[in-house]
Amino acid sequence: MGSDDNVYNLYKCRLLRVYDLTEEEKLFLLRFEDSEIAESWTFIPGQFVQVALPGIGEVPISICSSPVHRGFFEMCIKKVGKVTEMIHKLKPGDFVGVRGPYGNGFPVQDFENSDILLIAAGLGMAPLRSVFMHAVDNRWKFGNITAINSARYGNNLLFRKELDAMQDIAGAENIRIIQTVTRDPEWPGRIGRAQEHIKDANTDPGNSYVVVCGPPACYQSIFDKLIETGYDPKKIYVTLERRMKCGVGKCGHCIAGSSTFLKYICIDGPVFGYYDIISTPNLI
Amino acid sequence: MRYLKLATPNVSAFLDRLSNYGDLYAPTKISEKFYDFRRIEDVDKVEFNYNRTVTPEKKYFIPPKQDMFEFDMEEGDYIEKMGEIKPFVLFGLHACSIVALRILDGIYLDKYPDKYYGMRREAGIIIGISCLPDEYCFCNLRRTDFVDVGFDLFLHELPDGYLIRVGSERGHKVVDENLDLFVDVNDEDIENFKKFEKKRHEMFKYKGSFDNLRYMLELTENSSLWVEESEKCLGCGNCTMTCPTCRCYDVKDIPDIDGKHGKRIRFWDSCQFRSHGLVAGGHNFRETKKDRFINRYVCKNAYYYPLGTSYCVGCGNCTYFCPADIDFLDILMKIRDSSEEGKHGQ
Repeated sequence: MGSDDNVYNLYKCRLLRVYDLTEEEKLFLLRFEDSEIAESWTFIPGQFVQVALPGIGEVPISICSSPVHRGFFEMCIKKVGKVTEMIHKLKPGDFVGVRGPYGNGFPVQDFENSDILLIAAGLGMAPLRSVFMHAVDNRWKFGNITAINSARYGNNLLFRKELDAMQDIAGAENIRIIQTVTRDPEWPGRIGRAQEHIKDANTDPGNSYVVVCGPPACYQSIFDKLIETGYDPKKIYVTLERRMKCGVGKCGHCIAGSSTFLKYICIDGPVFGYYDIISTPNLI
Repeated sequence: MRYLKLATPNVSAFLDRLSNYGDLYAPTKISEKFYDFRRIEDVDKVEFNYNRTVTPEKKYFIPPKQDMFEFDMEEGDYIEKMGEIKPFVLFGLHACSIVALRILDGIYLDKYPDKYYGMRREAGIIIGISCLPDEYCFCNLRRTDFVDVGFDLFLHELPDGYLIRVGSERGHKVVDENLDLFVDVNDEDIENFKKFEKKRHEMFKYKGSFDNLRYMLELTENSSLWVEESEKCLGCGNCTMTCPTCRCYDVKDIPDIDGKHGKRIRFWDSCQFRSHGLVAGGHNFRETKKDRFINRYVCKNAYYYPLGTSYCVGCGNCTYFCPADIDFLDILMKIRDSSEEGKHGQ
């Protein structure tokens, strides 16, 4: 579209599939049109892209698939603003502009040979699914895996059906999938907040990495429970959300933190460690 | 470093010759009270002794509003739009402004270089000039009152001309191509340079540094001072617009009337605006005026580690141009020393 030396340059992606996840969230499968980009483009779980529709605007969206699938990637998008509303109207065969990937992502290489505990609250499963699928696709590199997915109501649980369908392979692969809701009287499964189910994880607190994503208010109580259970604070990571306009540390919309730790969430994050979070006011 | 002297009778000729290198922009008097950087046709209009300009130099590198792309809605294409970028000479920047540009360089020309900024930076020759502080200046506390790099030439005032420091290859080229205008620096010039520097140091109201300030600030985020001060704030964003290092921008796609084409523009934004911290779904990371007010103090007093200086360069623009008379330095002094002390407590 433009010259390659322009960091704001968008690359055309063809929308291949659209799945309804909940009433407000859809999952989109995309592929780069340009074969060279499709061949070379890759990402780290936890990174995000900027997605644009000409004339409407551009939004930051987490990648929620595993990097194993070259040239393809998935995004879970909630219908929440004018750009995402338009994206929700798109059909297979339509195009969007994409640039990225941006952000640091999770240090998944460090996770190798350890257990992984994923804790998602609300929409948190969107970025965490990328870590989960990466671990499943590279199963032999990691120890036990537990994914805790939580929401208010059963219908709000992102990737609920997919995670249910994975229960069979999970049993064979030392993967534990826990889905829990806090307010749904109709829900037949587990009840309670994510942290109440940490005790049922198959991960060894002494040899685990933990990744957490959820609404800002949920973090402290999850941290408290993890540390109480024996998880190592320096192996706890979270991923944060802001309204990135550029994704490359320029526009300033995602600047957060305090005067001793001022960060651009888009390039210094969105993944931060536990100690960064607790020593930095205003980060979450 | 290479030093030369430009004697007073040659100053006009020097400014005239600068137009050989591109359009000349320099501070000029625009009204009874104010100065601003403008395109200079008549070099007699250049103002050498000014304290601050109504718009900061960043406007030449990050225009207040600029086109980024043209788009075609049917094809789904964005086509890069750089605009015409001609060589230019920016004359008369103070030391703090040059440090400010270096901070912007660090951000805009990092591992994700911003081409729009980079091309403008490449096109501009930077010529600095020495200055004496007024009551709003505190660049000394920020350690930005003297620059080592970031300029092509830097002029230091002498009683009979300027002592020139040459700061880049481009600076050497300008000097070499106009050698007839310069003479060597002699002992008297060096003495005069020292005198000027001593006088400059003595004129600053406060001495020392602000290196511990960011910790004091972090510890004082719950102080009632922020409630009192933020209540005065109009949320107009003047402080950020006139700040030489504030660089936030917003982006918008503007469709043409045909509904098929249009352009993507970016324009200066301000953390003092409510929309700045708003995310999709309605959550605002800086919901109240107090949140936004503190945010600027936090951001400006944080350190830009590659330069070892804060994002604030101590120019005093935010205080000088604040319509509500909010005194940035006074608040910082209260934060650093004690909220019990009076104006600029020592």
